[in-house]
Amino acid sequence: MARSSVTRLGELERAVMEHLWTHREAGGGSLTVREVHETVGTQRELAYTTVMTVLDRLAKKRLVMQERDGRAYRYSPVSTREELTAQTMRETLGDLEARDRKGAMLHFLDDASPQEIDELKAALAEIERRSMTTSGSTSSSVGVRRFRRV
Amino acid sequence: MIFATVLVALALVLAWPVPRVLARMTTFRRAPRAALVIWQSVTIAAVLSALAATPVVLLEIGEEAMEGPGSARALATVGAVLSGLMLARVLVSGHQIGTRLRATRRRHRDLVDLLSNAPEVRNELGDPQLCVLQHAMPTAYCVPGLRSRVVLSQGTIDALSAAEVGAVLAHERAHLRERHDLILEFFSVMYTALPPILRSPEALSEVRLLAEVLADRSAVKAVGPVVVARAVVTMAGSSAPDAAMGVGCSTARIRLDLLHEAKRPLILLSLLMFGFAALALGAPISIVVAGWTTR
Repeated sequence: MARSSVTRLGELERAVMEHLWTHREAGGGSLTVREVHETVGTQRELAYTTVMTVLDRLAKKRLVMQERDGRAYRYSPVSTREELTAQTMRETLGDLEARDRKGAMLHFLDDASPQEIDELKAALAEIERRSMTTSGSTSSSVGVRRFRRV
Repeated sequence: MIFATVLVALALVLAWPVPRVLARMTTFRRAPRAALVIWQSVTIAAVLSALAATPVVLLEIGEEAMEGPGSARALATVGAVLSGLMLARVLVSGHQIGTRLRATRRRHRDLVDLLSNAPEVRNELGDPQLCVLQHAMPTAYCVPGLRSRVVLSQGTIDALSAAEVGAVLAHERAHLRERHDLILEFFSVMYTALPPILRSPEALSEVRLLAEVLADRSAVKAVGPVVVARAVVTMAGSSAPDAAMGVGCSTARIRLDLLHEAKRPLILLSLLMFGFAALALGAPISIVVAGWTTR
């Protein structure tokens, strides 16, 4: 129950961010809760207060900027989708507080230097050669489970 | 006093020389699961010896200490303080690392969910965990936890063949399925709990390598060693050049060389290694029992 409401909130955050981004890309300025509710909210039959909560959560996560305009708040994305993607990628590459981040995510591969890459290519050629001699012409049959002995 | 002294000596040996020797036992990488069991049992045995030393001292001195010479009482007090400090450090470091890891992962998962394709699409793809970031630089990783994610960038999908993407996914899913993050977290906690002079960074990186070797094995089972090797080499060749830091021997190279091992389990070596792990863990326990019974 709690879990499904969490994923639902996450899904609404997506929808609202999506809307704010497309609005921005189309050259629009910041939006009020009512304006967001009129598009995203009515499509999904959401209450006005739900949209307000979602925008508030996004502001707390510093994904949207909240500025006061008279009695209402206006919201706009802090960064574009591309900027946020680049930022997310950078976070995992560990250029900031590398030690802290290390272990938070498990990467397929650490970084290799150009010299190492040459060595790796040589090692790969060796592996390919070895598998050619053991399994004949089928070495390139990728994705097939192999239980043959070496 | 003999049992307590042996326990303290054991704790020191297990904390300092043993991890350094173990990290050099490259043969152990050919049986990565058994190797991880050894690392865990040695670490737990070291902590157990350090924590058990005080109660055993008290046990051995017993009533004598209370009316005996002041030096014995002082020794017991010092031991108790040391054990208490050790316990406190483990608890504090466990709490700090755990909270920080979970906060980082939660925040990152939120971002990835926001930026990748919608959950409905992911469900249709047959994998609700898989997120694709729209970025040209190849990267692949997983965010462990209860609501785990496997994250690929579009650059990875473009750079690799379908089978190689399969290798990467099998690798990351193995990390998640076997909860390698918990094993690594355990070692990070123990590492930071130790006083800096006793820490062994080589132990930490060896354990990380073993987790990668284990995940590679799952990938080899799924798509064969050649495809995994190609995936490793392509991913290594396409990462950001400025991010290359050249830390010692290339782990990618070691992993490539071990890919063929996945096909033939080394039963005898594994059995010997499990035996050693049991021995290491049994040592402090039997000393405590001996101390108790010969009272």
